[in-house]
Amino acid sequence: MPRMHTIGTLAAGMALLASPALAAGTPIAKTCGPNNHYLIGFSQVDYTEPYRQHVDNQMQELVKNYPQFKLVIADGQANDNTQTSQVENFITQQVDILFISPYESAPLTPVVARAYKAGIPVITLDRNVIGDQYTTFVGGDNFLIAKEAGEYAATLLPDGGEIAILEGLPSSSPAIERLDGFKAGIANHPNLKVVGVQAVDWLEDKAVTVFSAMLQAHPDIKLVYTSNDLAAAGAYIAAKSVGKQNQIKIIGTDGLPGPSGGIRSVMEGQWAATYIYPTGAAEALELAKKILIDCATSVPRKITVPTMRVDPQNAKELYEKLKF
Amino acid sequence: MSEQARSEAAARPARLRPLAVLVRFQSLIGLIVVVLGGIVFSPRRHGMVLFLTPDNIANIIRSISETGIIALGMTFVIIAAGIDLSVGAILGLSSVFTASLLIKHGWAILPTILTVLVAGTVFGTLQGAISTRFRLQPFIVTLAGLQAARGLALVASGNNYINIAYGHGPGLAPPAFGVLGARLFHNTLPVASLIFILLAAVAALVLNTTRFGRYVYAVGGNERAARLSGIPVNRVKIAVYAITGVASAIAGIVHAGQFSFGGPNDGAGYELTAIAAVVIGGTDLFGGAGSMVGTIAGSVMLGALANILELNDVSAAMQLLATGAIIVAAAALQSFVGRRDGGGR
Repeated sequence: MPRMHTIGTLAAGMALLASPALAAGTPIAKTCGPNNHYLIGFSQVDYTEPYRQHVDNQMQELVKNYPQFKLVIADGQANDNTQTSQVENFITQQVDILFISPYESAPLTPVVARAYKAGIPVITLDRNVIGDQYTTFVGGDNFLIAKEAGEYAATLLPDGGEIAILEGLPSSSPAIERLDGFKAGIANHPNLKVVGVQAVDWLEDKAVTVFSAMLQAHPDIKLVYTSNDLAAAGAYIAAKSVGKQNQIKIIGTDGLPGPSGGIRSVMEGQWAATYIYPTGAAEALELAKKILIDCATSVPRKITVPTMRVDPQNAKELYEKLKF
Repeated sequence: MSEQARSEAAARPARLRPLAVLVRFQSLIGLIVVVLGGIVFSPRRHGMVLFLTPDNIANIIRSISETGIIALGMTFVIIAAGIDLSVGAILGLSSVFTASLLIKHGWAILPTILTVLVAGTVFGTLQGAISTRFRLQPFIVTLAGLQAARGLALVASGNNYINIAYGHGPGLAPPAFGVLGARLFHNTLPVASLIFILLAAVAALVLNTTRFGRYVYAVGGNERAARLSGIPVNRVKIAVYAITGVASAIAGIVHAGQFSFGGPNDGAGYELTAIAAVVIGGTDLFGGAGSMVGTIAGSVMLGALANILELNDVSAAMQLLATGAIIVAAAALQSFVGRRDGGGR
């Protein structure tokens, strides 16, 4: 009968059409291809930290290499409610891909999950959300970077001594990882004693106050490890105010270029070392290209960007080389 | 207002009356202006006006739900010629307290909520009592309260934030609490927004239809006259601070639920947003005049303004400047008409 034939042909036709798609996999992005323009929404923690400004600068500089991309960066003002609203607005605007560095991991997880479930690919940068509702995490391995710092600290104090740690905002993932990593790095050196661990929330002024108090309580501190360069700068100010800037070795993290960055501080002998924490901007944009332009069907879950130690031996050369 | 001024006002020519109407409904007019602006300047995608999509409107209400709840309470205080600077800190303390009871002490949801609400009410009542009994400026008492609440929050949280994870067992909160961060009706209406809307209706009813509401206006308008007419002035003055205390506690519980998080520094600066909403809503900072509807309109206006600017990728700086300008305009308009005409006084 005609109807059965039609159904049979339809079914056969659909099976033929379906199989190549099933075999190849579906693209991650709902719309993709080289002929469209795409909107990238980047929800940034805030604009006021130098590291964040560095990330934004790199993003804006590198996105020029991708003429199909339009980049919008939103300022989260270091506030969960504000950053949540901004991600909600990106969802409303139907951005083609969401980049986000969440201010705090748990509070931003629900709204990021909403974006992910709505079909928007999510790249988390430097800080991650909780759970698995995101496409890819791009960041340095904070634990490893901090562990290397711990091992380097041991070489700086071969006879042991008292150590202080100035931690980042404890509710953000890098702070936790850097603390644990540093402790792992010094674990095999029982002559290194950690006498104080305090959170300074990535802030320089807080670092000055907190470290000054620590120095009052523990005048024999020989080394301080900080979660970011701003805190290291604060520690230096605190040490200098009691004349101890030459006794205390300072190790920072971030390694920002430019006249107010950490590389210069190492070059000028104020700090013992810092670790360049790369922005991940290049990797994130490449990933966006793969997803949106190349219609990738799968991408790695995690992209670890490499780090590098800045110490008195290579500081000058790095300072000249890295301009923005 | 003096007898002479009142009779002068009555003799004023009728052409000034429209301005008075403008003032009485200034916040609603302002809200309409902002919404129209939002529609005009809204980006469009696939022919839809993004500003008006149900999702976007729900987002606007969600973003102002916490400061809005606090502003509802703040309206009572300001109409009563007081001020409360501690509300943001009480929010932080409440969010920490909620998270602590649920996670560290394994309490069930209902006892937790009741305890936190009682704690907020007690804190507010204490501030009101100290201010009234010792004749201290509310500004100073609540400023001290702000510091005390932050300190308590840091102690209660062990100087750290408390993550709320859901499940069954030690260290996990009952999953039902997560409903505060959920969206109802096919993912459209955030529960936080629903709570704000319900509380707004209740607050408006209390202020406009109950005897207590009339007492609040009387105490703020002319405290001496109110006392002489037999109104229990001290009790009213303490009660309004109890209201802000419980409102901030509710906002703190909603905050903990929305963000699965209790942080001692949460809510910092919220008092200023709440006060801004109340002032933009047409309430006089000197007390005695104002409306809850105005506050609600003011809150939504601020949220809509932020939303329009964000949808158009305008920097946050513009938003702050715009808010500042609106506050000054609202206060100036009210002051200009309120003093020359009979107004709402």
